Amino acid sequence: MNAPLGARGLVVSGLSVAAGTTTIVDDVSFTLSQGRPMTLLGASGSGKSLVAHAIMGSLPPGLTASGAIHLDGADLFAADDRPDTRWGRTIALLPQEPWLALDPTMRIGAQVMEVHRHLHGARPAEARRRGLSDLAEVGLADRADAYPFALSGGMCQRAAIAIAHAAGAGLLIADEPTKGLDAVLRDGVVARLRREVEQGRLLLTITHDIAVAKALGGMIGVMLDGRLVEFGPAAEVLERPRHDYARALIAADPSHWRAPSLPAPTDVVVQGHKLAKSFGGRELFSGLDISVRRGEVIAITGPSGCGKTTIGNLLLGLAAPDAGGVERSRGVAPQRFQKLYQDPPAAFAPHQTLRRGLEHLLKLHRLPWRQAEEAMERLALAPVLLDRRPGEVSGGELQRFAILRALLLDPVFLFADEATSRLDPVSQQDVVAILIDAVRNRGLALLIVTHEIALAERVASRVIRIGSDLPLAGGGDA
Amino acid sequence: MGRLLLPRVLQAGLVILVVGVLCFVLVRALPGDAAMRIAAGRYGPDANITEAAENVRRELGLDRPLLVQLGGSLGQLLRLDLGHSVVTGLPITKELRIQLGATLWLAGSALVLTILIGPAVGLAAGLRSGGFADRVSLGGAVILRSLPPFVLGLLLILLFAMNLGWFPPAGYGTWRDLALPALTLALGLAAISSRVTRDSVAGVMRAPYFTFARLKGLPPAVVVRRHVLRNAAIPVIAYLGLQAIYLIEGVVVVETLFGIPGIGHALVHAVIARDVPMVQGTALVMGLLFVVITAAVDLICHWLDPRPKRA
Repeated sequence: MNAPLGARGLVVSGLSVAAGTTTIVDDVSFTLSQGRPMTLLGASGSGKSLVAHAIMGSLPPGLTASGAIHLDGADLFAADDRPDTRWGRTIALLPQEPWLALDPTMRIGAQVMEVHRHLHGARPAEARRRGLSDLAEVGLADRADAYPFALSGGMCQRAAIAIAHAAGAGLLIADEPTKGLDAVLRDGVVARLRREVEQGRLLLTITHDIAVAKALGGMIGVMLDGRLVEFGPAAEVLERPRHDYARALIAADPSHWRAPSLPAPTDVVVQGHKLAKSFGGRELFSGLDISVRRGEVIAITGPSGCGKTTIGNLLLGLAAPDAGGVERSRGVAPQRFQKLYQDPPAAFAPHQTLRRGLEHLLKLHRLPWRQAEEAMERLALAPVLLDRRPGEVSGGELQRFAILRALLLDPVFLFADEATSRLDPVSQQDVVAILIDAVRNRGLALLIVTHEIALAERVASRVIRIGSDLPLAGGGDA
Repeated sequence: MGRLLLPRVLQAGLVILVVGVLCFVLVRALPGDAAMRIAAGRYGPDANITEAAENVRRELGLDRPLLVQLGGSLGQLLRLDLGHSVVTGLPITKELRIQLGATLWLAGSALVLTILIGPAVGLAAGLRSGGFADRVSLGGAVILRSLPPFVLGLLLILLFAMNLGWFPPAGYGTWRDLALPALTLALGLAAISSRVTRDSVAGVMRAPYFTFARLKGLPPAVVVRRHVLRNAAIPVIAYLGLQAIYLIEGVVVVETLFGIPGIGHALVHAVIARDVPMVQGTALVMGLLFVVITAAVDLICHWLDPRPKRA
C-alpha cells in the first residue's frame, strides 16, 4: 500500500467546455465524496468524457474549460496550475480499452515499476519490490513478466489499476472501464472498482452501461447534449428517473425489453454440420451443429475468445472449418449473406462521404438511388448525414448506415457480430429494433453474436451458449 | 528464433542455385566469343589473339557441351568453392576480399552516417509534428532526395574539396578519402529514413499508450525514452535494413565517380571479360549478404517487438 489513500472530496461547479464559441459541455455541477462513487451515463457525444478530461486537465487542444473544480479544496483551474504535476500523484485515469493503453512492447511489471522509479524516484530494486506488491494486490503477481498481448482485457484493466496504485492517486477516473469486455470480465472490473471505493479513493466512472452504474451504486448523473440532466442517488435515479432522456436510457437496458413477436420460421438458409475449429493449438469447438431458418433470430453468447464470432464467419464462408461442412441454400446470390461488424468506423472507408459509398454500392449492383433514400427514411437517417464522413456521425447512426448497406442487397441471412456492443443503450435498442423489423417483414434469418446475455435472451428465438464456464444449451462443445 | 532463421537458410540455398545458373546462362548468352574475350582480358588485344583464344578454349574446356560446363560450375558452387578468376588466375575469394572489402567500407561508413543523421532528425521532427523542425526537415528531405547522387556528390566535392579543401575530391585509402562518398550516400538515405522515423514517432504519439504513459504521471522525457523510442524504432529498423541493401547496389555509381576500386567496378569488368567465376562469385556474395542483412533485421525486430507475428 502506498502513501496516504484517497482524497476527501471533489467539487465541480458550473463546469463548461467550449470549442471556440461553441459550448460542448454546459454548466455541469456535482460533488464527489468518499464512499460514494459517481457514475456519469450518456450517449457517445453527450460530453461525459470531456467532463473527465476537464477534471484531469487533459482536454484536447482547442477546447477550453471554465467554471470551477476543487479537489480537497485546491483550485484545479488556478492560474499557476500545471495539471501534469497532478497526473498519477493525485488523479489517475483508468483508460478505456486498457489493452491499447498499455505499451505493447513492454512487460507489465516494468510498466508498473517505472512509476515508482520515475515518478517517485525510488531506486531500481525498491521500485521493483513495490511494483511487484502493486501487481500482487490486483492478483497479477505471477504475470509481471507478461506482455499486454498475453493478458485478457480484464487483466489489462487490473494492470492499469496497479499503475494507479503505484502512482498513489486518491481520485480515480474510469473512462468506459468495461468497454469491449464480456459480462464475466465486466463484473470482475466492477467488483475491483468497488474495492477502490472501500479503500477510500474517490471514483468517477464514465460509462454507457447501466448495469455498471447499478452495480457501483453511489450517485448517478445522466448527460445529454453536454448538460447534466439528471443527478441523484443511484437507486433513486434507476427507479424513478425524472428527465425524459434518463427514462428512455434506463428503459433501453436490455433487461427491460419486451420479447418481440416473431413469425413462424420457414426454410433453412444456412446450416453447419459437425463444425470444428482450433486456433493456435486450442480447440474452440468441435462437433457443432447449427442451422438458421428464415424469420428466426439465433443468438450465440459466451465469454471473449470462446469462438462465437468464428461460428458466424464459418457460416458466411469467411473462414474454413477444420472439420465438418457448411451448406448455404442453393441458388441464392452470395452477396445476400451479409455481416454487420462490431466497430462501425472500421467497416467504412474513412475518407469517403457516406453518399459516395452508397452510390458505389448501388452502381455495382445496378440499383436505383431511390431505394437508398427510402431505406434511409425507414431507418430514421436524415439526408444531411449523407455528405459527412464516417467519423463525423455518431456510432449509432453509422451502424444504421451499415444495416442500410446490408439491407439494400436484400439479404436472406445477416450475421450481427457484437453489432451493438459499442453503442449507448438507446442507440442499441434502436439498432436491434431495426434488425428485428427486418426479420419480421422480410423473412431475414438473423444470427446475433453478443456477450450480453440479457440481450440474447430478450430477442432470440434460440440462444446457443458456448465456452467452458457456462452451461451448454443447443449443442456445442466446451 | 529457429522459426525465424530457418526460412533465411533455405533462402540462402536458393540464392546459390539461382545466382549460379543465371550468371552462367546470362554471361554465355552475351554476343561474341567467350574465349576471345577472356583472352583479350588476359593478354590485351594483340596480333596473336586467335591463337590465344584457342588455348583459352582448350584450357577452360569451353568447347564442352554447355550443360556439362554448367554442371561443373554448379557442383563447384555447392561445395562453396568459388574457384579462380579465368582472367587473373587469382582465387575469387581473394579478389572479393579486396574489391568487396572496399565496397563494404564505403557502404558501412555511409550506413553509420545515415543512422546518425536520419533517425535523429526524424525523432526531432516527429516529437513536434507540424512544428519548426518538422517543416525544415521536410524541406531538406525533399531537396536532398530530388538530387541524383552524382549531382549531390559533385556539390559536396565542390564545397568540401575544392572550396574548403577539407577532404580530397577522390581516391581510396584513408578515412578522409571515404568521407565525401560516404556523406553523399548517407544524405540521400537520411532524407527518406528521417521521414519514415518522423511518421513512426508521430504515430506512436497518437497511440493511446502514449497518452496513458503521460497520464500515469511520467515526465515527457521519460515517456519518450521508455515508450516512444522502442515502439517507433520497429518500422525504422526494418526500413534501414532495406536501405543497407539498396546502398550496396547504389554504391556502384558512387564508386565509379570517386574512383574507388570496389565491387561495382569489378562486376562491370568481369562481365566485359566474360569471367564467369568472377561474376558468379560477386553476385553470390552480394545475394548472400542481402539474406544475412534481412535475417539480422528480423532478429532485431523480434527482439524489439515480441508480439507474435501473423503470417
